[in-house]
Amino acid sequence: MAKSEITNHIRRLRFDNGEMTQQQLADKAGVTRQTIIAIEAGKYAPSLPLAFKIARTFGLHIEDVFQYEDESA
Amino acid sequence: MIRQQKIAVTVLVVSLLGLFLGITVILMRSFIPYFPKTAVAFGGFILAFGVIVFISRFKKDKGAVTFDERDKLIEKNAHLAGFGAVYLLVILVSYLPIGIAPEAKIPTKWFPFLLPLAVLCQCFAQSLATLIQYGWGGKDGEK
Repeated sequence: MAKSEITNHIRRLRFDNGEMTQQQLADKAGVTRQTIIAIEAGKYAPSLPLAFKIARTFGLHIEDVFQYEDESA
Repeated sequence: MIRQQKIAVTVLVVSLLGLFLGITVILMRSFIPYFPKTAVAFGGFILAFGVIVFISRFKKDKGAVTFDERDKLIEKNAHLAGFGAVYLLVILVSYLPIGIAPEAKIPTKWFPFLLPLAVLCQCFAQSLATLIQYGWGGKDGEK
């Protein structure tokens, strides 16, 4: 899948939250570990509900986890 | 490698093998006039049965969730790729004979072969699209 324009801090946040594993985050967000890997690598842009779930797992707002890189700006 | 990737690799290999065997059987039948049809049908049945058993033995992936929105998207794209490939095959089969030999006649007994050819084409394109989207490797970077 193509690289997305959405960047994220998931990897850093996982380590800040007690070195949470990708599998633990996947289970909490209700997705597979491969999806977390793809999101972390920027290969997959999550849906809005999934982005909210991931942000809430860390107790943060969605914009604290995900950033949209607008090339025109 | 996750379960979907393993299935895609298996289907890809089997569809290529099926295409190769199909071409071999067609060529053999043109050289051996009394080539037994039942042997071909039996071989095909055994191959199909073997593949189904082989795929059903793939273990489920670890974790509470084994299929999510990304898998659904990949599956949808793969189906579209398969559909597109069959569409291209139909266009090719419809127009290629006109381009090669406009005055020639095609025996009607060849037409039923279009169905297995379309199935093979669909399976091949779908598996290829699945593997391209998931990636070919087994290293999925646990960090």
